[in-house]
Formats: sequence, structure tokens, C-alpha cells
Amino acid sequence: MKDDLNIVGKRVVRSDSLAKVTGQARYTADLKFPNMLVAKVLRSPYPHAKIVRIDLKRALKVPGVKAAISGFDGYGIKWGVFRYTQDHAMLHTDKVRYIGEDVAAVAAVDEETAMEALSYIKVDYEPLPAVYDPIESMKDGAPQIHSEYKNNINIHIHIDVGEVDRAMGKAFLVREDTFKAAGEAYAMMEPYAVVASYVNGYLDLWMPNAGPHVRAKALSNMLKLPLNKVRIRHINSGGAFGGRSEVAPGDLVASLLSIKAGRPVKLVLSREENATSSRQVHDMIATVKTGMKKDGTIVAKDFKVIYDGGAYSSTGPIATSIPFYVYEECYRFPNVRYNGYRVFTNKGIRGMYGCHGRAFLAGNEAQMDIMAKQLGMDPVEVRLKNGLRSGEMTATKSKITSCGLKETIIAASEKTNFKKRWAKPSRLKGVGMGCVAIMCGFPMGFRSGSSCYVKINDDGQVTIVTGLVDNGQGNESMVIQVASEVLGVPMGDINLVNADTEVTNLDPGAYSQAAAFVGANAVRVACENARKRIVAIASEKLGVKEAEIGLKDGLAYSIKKPDKKMPISWVVREAFFRGEPIVATGSFFPNIDFEREWVSRPWGQMAGTFSFGTSVAEVNIDSETGKITMPRFTSAHDCGRAINPMAVEGQMEGSIQQAGVAAITEGNLWDKGHLLNPDLLEYKVPLACDMPDMDTIIISSRDPAGPFGAKEGGLTVRMNAYSAVACAVANATGELFSELPLTPDRVMNILERKKGVK
Amino acid sequence: MKTMKVTFQVNSDKVTLQVKPYETLLETLRERLALTGAKEACGMGSCGACTVVVDGIPMRSCLVLTPEVNGAVITTVEGLKQDDRLHPLQEAFMEKGAVQCGFCTSGMIMTAKALLDRNKKPTKKEIITTISSNICRCTGYKKIVEAVEAAAKRT
Repeated sequence: MKDDLNIVGKRVVRSDSLAKVTGQARYTADLKFPNMLVAKVLRSPYPHAKIVRIDLKRALKVPGVKAAISGFDGYGIKWGVFRYTQDHAMLHTDKVRYIGEDVAAVAAVDEETAMEALSYIKVDYEPLPAVYDPIESMKDGAPQIHSEYKNNINIHIHIDVGEVDRAMGKAFLVREDTFKAAGEAYAMMEPYAVVASYVNGYLDLWMPNAGPHVRAKALSNMLKLPLNKVRIRHINSGGAFGGRSEVAPGDLVASLLSIKAGRPVKLVLSREENATSSRQVHDMIATVKTGMKKDGTIVAKDFKVIYDGGAYSSTGPIATSIPFYVYEECYRFPNVRYNGYRVFTNKGIRGMYGCHGRAFLAGNEAQMDIMAKQLGMDPVEVRLKNGLRSGEMTATKSKITSCGLKETIIAASEKTNFKKRWAKPSRLKGVGMGCVAIMCGFPMGFRSGSSCYVKINDDGQVTIVTGLVDNGQGNESMVIQVASEVLGVPMGDINLVNADTEVTNLDPGAYSQAAAFVGANAVRVACENARKRIVAIASEKLGVKEAEIGLKDGLAYSIKKPDKKMPISWVVREAFFRGEPIVATGSFFPNIDFEREWVSRPWGQMAGTFSFGTSVAEVNIDSETGKITMPRFTSAHDCGRAINPMAVEGQMEGSIQQAGVAAITEGNLWDKGHLLNPDLLEYKVPLACDMPDMDTIIISSRDPAGPFGAKEGGLTVRMNAYSAVACAVANATGELFSELPLTPDRVMNILERKKGVK
Repeated sequence: MKTMKVTFQVNSDKVTLQVKPYETLLETLRERLALTGAKEACGMGSCGACTVVVDGIPMRSCLVLTPEVNGAVITTVEGLKQDDRLHPLQEAFMEKGAVQCGFCTSGMIMTAKALLDRNKKPTKKEIITTISSNICRCTGYKKIVEAVEAAAKRT
């Protein structure tokens, strides 16, 4: 592989940062259109109730109100990611299933009028018994949330590889533990917002989203509009973290209001609405049984995991599977049984999260440490022994093509003097290690690949067009950097048109960790195709062989005699004269087994490649209060190659905050169907003063198929940072935790339990 | 409804407006003066995304009523550039990679600006303490702290 790269691998200033530091970057709530109306949503006060009647008449009479809608104004088409999960109408005519669910909405000339009109909407409900706990919900006789799902079991994922019972029976050491974890809030800084504008039969929409093409498809279905009449437009996104991957009820609400009023409509949720009525994270209960040989080799795994799925299917089959897969992509185990149950409760709608799988992963890792200790091994040895290597297959038959897991374990442990400190934890101080692997993309049918169009303009500047999405992680800048490398044109001379369903082609979006491996790869291929055209003309004009032409700083030049050169703009003009302007397309489709299905056929190649990482947390516990402080945190990440190391570090540091420190502070609190901490005072997002000193180590395994060797960057840490903290607390206390997050009360319980045993 | 006349300076402009007595400064800036750099992320003063500098003091504009700023001098993120040159904080935030989704960025920069205006050489600890008034969900704050340190060296 060519390694004398010009700009890939450099710490470049992100292309989007100038607009953001000057306050000029536009987010959805900043948009203003002529005649734009303001929308407000009436929400369910009941966790579970039959809708008897909705009367909008009085609301419509309020001066300044231009439209009012309820489920009776829609088509009753239910959304679901899969054919077998279509159960979410988003505006209902039969019943409501959680507190805060969208029931009706108005659009008015200003916010005050809209608020006043809401108070005149009359809804008659018949309250129904509700259920909030997934274990209760699965019992016979529990309130039935959807008639078609018996015992409220939404999804059952059953994976069975090898002979688990036989292997468990022969294992030297067997241990079973159960771990519980509260769901978290995405708490992206930008609350959900949407602008919908219906004009001449076309519906234009702006909203922070992770995949405009899947969003447009969902809305075209629900609104019975042809797909080409629904256009999702590009807008900056104030964070997503998995919470913006699916169509939102507000998308439908704003669209229906705009169609009805014939005017643009803006809906902006409050912080509290964003927490109660946009997506939430799954709570979970994971039972982990492990069998090990005397030498620490894992011989069998048996899992039962129950996910609190809230009121609707959402990404159900995926959410019920991912924690298992990111674990099996990291460790070798020949025999495994996984039973994952996603269960309906009368709580908000749920989705995937950066550290989806907390109880499962942290539980597995902490249990492994304890078993290793019993066998006279330490966390480093047991991870090196069981960690997958390049060329191996996972239990469900995904091939690992590039793997820097071992290097990340060694780098993180050496940097922290881990082995010595773990072996002798001083009083209430501990270290813990978490490893994980992440799929870069996963099966999404024909939407799994990405395409890019590139055109070289008459001044030698470049426009690239791609469906790629940036939710703040730097994807836009990344593909401009890739294009700059291939075409030899400075980043500032490259314009990007992206995330607009009308002008771009399909792309997985900022979803499934595919942006670098899939999206940037398509940009690379398109630019390479354009480059060939440039090189051919430059070779002819300069009288130099094609293989000896280089492109740099907007010039085509002879590599052997660099004074032989011409501006790329001259090449482009020559191409125009020939009637063959330089335009090119490129696409990338990852090597995925498309027979694979989450429920019915859970085996085959999951993703084109996998990234790896190891985090090490250091914790101190205050024995009086149970409060944990984290002096230092170290993460090593195999991201294939860092296209912009500064951006990858930023992802890793943000992940240490959002998964590592979050492990001691963050969790949604419920009183039955009421979310108790929907705002940012009660919900503790870590602040600057809560952060440890952070060391980030980038390991480059150079993936053979990745663009310049790149894979996913950052999510690995978002998954394993949580485990590292949990394992460090287990190391410091000498006890296994059972409930997460590790808030002071739970830490005190662990300490007291420990005392009691003595 | 009864409105109130309010006059104040925002960036280089003097403005006089008739406002509702309960109108927040954030609403006035965003909805009437088209200064949308200040963001509403919580609406209750818990996150700092709407921070602007009022007479040298960083304030959460979602908690300030516009009638309260009569006669005040207000700086928003849009007013930081001087003669087309970026403020050292803006430059440093870009160069150090302190910006990700960008939704907290305006508030962070304005909080840091008020700090540097009153304390030219803050220690790292002072920077951390000061910006702990603002929430960022993306960065882990490390590069924001580095950016403020770098800007302090340049001012």
C-alpha cells in the first residue's frame, strides 16, 4: 500500500468548523421561511389508554391556528424497520402506549397561539392497566400492549452454535451471574426539531437525522406519497449517538400539518420532550454463564438477555442482537447459546445507543476477570488468550480480515502498568480493562453500499456528491480529506453536497458505523475514476507516461521531472473542449452475507470489516460516600488508519465521557411510566470537571478493503469504556457488581456486602 | 399585549425594540435579530449553549429577560470577529479540534471569552472550572480545554 500520503493521516482542521465557531452553521431550529408556522404537540398523560374520541374543533377556531391534526388525519400506516415489526403508527386512533406519546398537534402563527390551541383539544381516554417492568410484562396475565405479541415478547433472538451443554459440563470452571443496567438518555445537545414544507405536491424536510434516504422512504410510506415527492434536505446535526437513526413521530406530525396548512411548519421539542418522546435507550438484564478450561480458554457461553423495549418495535431485532455480536466479534468461543428477548413495556420509544449492551458487555468482562483470577491469570492474559485474530471466524461465521486487538491490549496495559496494579489494588483504588470489536456496517439490504458522484469544475475545483451523513463526528470533513488525497486538490477547493435525498444516491448514513469504511470508500473510488481521466489528458499534454504523473496542490506534474507540470484547471478545460467534462462515479459495496437475517438466519458475514479496541479505567472510591472518581483513562483503538488523527482522538475522548464517566453517573430513572430525570439538571451528563486525564492511542492495522486502510473510528471506545470502569470498580472492591450505573448508593451496597461477608 | 421599549447594544449595533415583558434575551436574539449562534438546548439554564456576554459577564440568555438588558452591551458569537479576523478562541477551537457537532460551541466560546477578558492567564484548573458551567456531549472537553489554553497564549 502506498504510504507517502499527502493529507490522509494528517491532523487537519475540520471543514465544518469555521461555520461552527462563527455561529453561522445552520441547525433545524435556526431555519426561517416565509409564512412559516409553529407546531406544538399534545401528548398522552397516560401510560396506556384507549382513545375514545379526539375533538379538534375548538382548537381550530382559535385565531391564528392554521391546522390541527390527530391520527384520524393520517393513513394509519404503521412504521417498522422490518416487515414483521410494523407496529408504530406514530399518531394513533386506537390507543396510547406511553406517557408523552404524540396524540394531536396544531400549527399556528406563533408559539403562544399554538400553546393556547392545544389546551382546547379534547381527548377522551379510557385508561388501561399498564406494565413497566419487562419481567412483569412477560408474565401470563400482564396487560397486553400489542395484541399480536404474546406475553409482550416483541423479538426473540435465538443463536445456538456448537454443543453448549456438553462443553459446559466438561469445563473446568463454570460461573453464572446476572447484571442489570438502566437505559440512558441520548442527551444530544440539539433537541429534536423538524421543518416540513409542502409545496406543489413536494414535501421538503429538514431535521437532524442519521440517514436521509431511509427517513424519506418511511415518510413516503406513511404519507402515501411517491418517494420522489419526499425530499430530505441537508442540515447540521447537533449530535445523534444512535438516537436519530429512525423516522420520528415529529417528522410525521410536521408533514401532516404542512400538507394541511399549505405552509411551512416548524416543530422544535423542548429538552423534556426530547427525553420523553424522542428515542430512549434500552434498559437490560443480562444473565451470563461461562465455561472455561483450566488454562483460561473460554469453551462455552450461555446467555439470556432481557431488553426493556418500551412501547414499540423500533430497531428491535438489531437492538436485541448487537450486544452479543460486538462481543463475539472480539472473543473466540466455539460453543454459544444466546437468547435475547425484547419485551414491550409502557415506556417511551427506544433505539440503539453508542454503548448499547452495557450490562451485557460489562458483565462478561468483569466475570471473565474473576474467573481468570481463580485460575491464576490476569485480565491481560485472559484477553490475549481468548481474543480473536486476523483470519479467524466468529462464532456466527464472520471472517475477521484485519485485527489489532492484541496490539490495543498490549498498548493500553503497558501504558498504564496494568498488570502490576491490577494484581495489587491498593485500598479502594482499582484498574479495569474492557475490550470490544465493532462491525463497520451491517446488513441493510441494497442500502448497505454507498455511491458518490464527482465533477471537476472549470477552475480545477471539485464538487463531490454523496449520501453520507455527519452527525457531528466529522464525516463530511473526512470525505473531503479523502478526495483531496486522491485528486491532489487542497481541501478548501473541494465542495461537498451530501445528505440530500434528491441529489445524492443511497448511503447507509451515520448508522452502523459505516461512514468511513463504506461512505468514504465510495468517495475514494469516484475520485480515483476522475483522477484517471485527469492523468490521461495530462500525460498526453505533458508528454509523460500516465504512471509517472502525480497530482498535488491543484497541479498535474511529472514525478521524475517536477518542473514539467500544468494546473488541473487546464486539464479540465481541455476536457470541456473535447466535449467530455471530467465527471465520475464510484461506489463501494461491502462484503456482507445478505442471506443473513437478524431473527431467522443469524449467521454469515456481518460486515466488511471490524474495528477493535481496549480501554483501561483507573478509579478511586470514597469509602464514606461511595463516590467514584476517575483520575486517568487510557484507550487504545485499532481504527485501521486514522484519516484525521485529531478527529479520531476527539471521538475517543468523547466516548470516554459518554460511556466511561457515564458508567458512574448516567441512567434514566422511572416511577412507573414517568421519566423522573428528563432534563439536564436531573440527568447527569459529565462536565469538564468530572473528566479524567485521558490518553488515546491509535493503532493502525491497515484494513485491506478500507479507504487508505481505514475502519470505524471511535465507537469501539464508546462500547468498551463502560466495561473498563465496571471492571475497575470490581478490582477496587474485590466484589462483582450487579446493577449499573455505579452510582454512590450502589457502590455503598457493594462495600457493605463485602463487609458483611467478612 | 403591553410591550416595553428596550435599547441595548449587540455586537456593533445599537438596537431599540418593543418587547413583551417576559421575552427572553435568547428569543430576542434568535427570533428578532437573526442572531442564531446562541442555541436553545435546555431552556432552563442547565447547559450553557445560549451563553452570551452581557457587560462582560457570561449569561445564559434563556434565563435573562430582554427588559433587563436595557442599556447593556451584549456580545454574541457573531460579534467576535474583528475586521474579518477570527478571535483567537475561534482560531484555537478550529485548530485544536474542539468542535464536533457544534451545538455547544457558541456558548463554550462565549464562556471562555468572558474568562479570558477578566483573567488573561488562567491556569488549566481555572479553565476547567469555568467551562464546567457548559455541557458538551461530544468531545470529552479535552480539546476544548486545550483550545482555551492556546487562545490564552495568543491574547
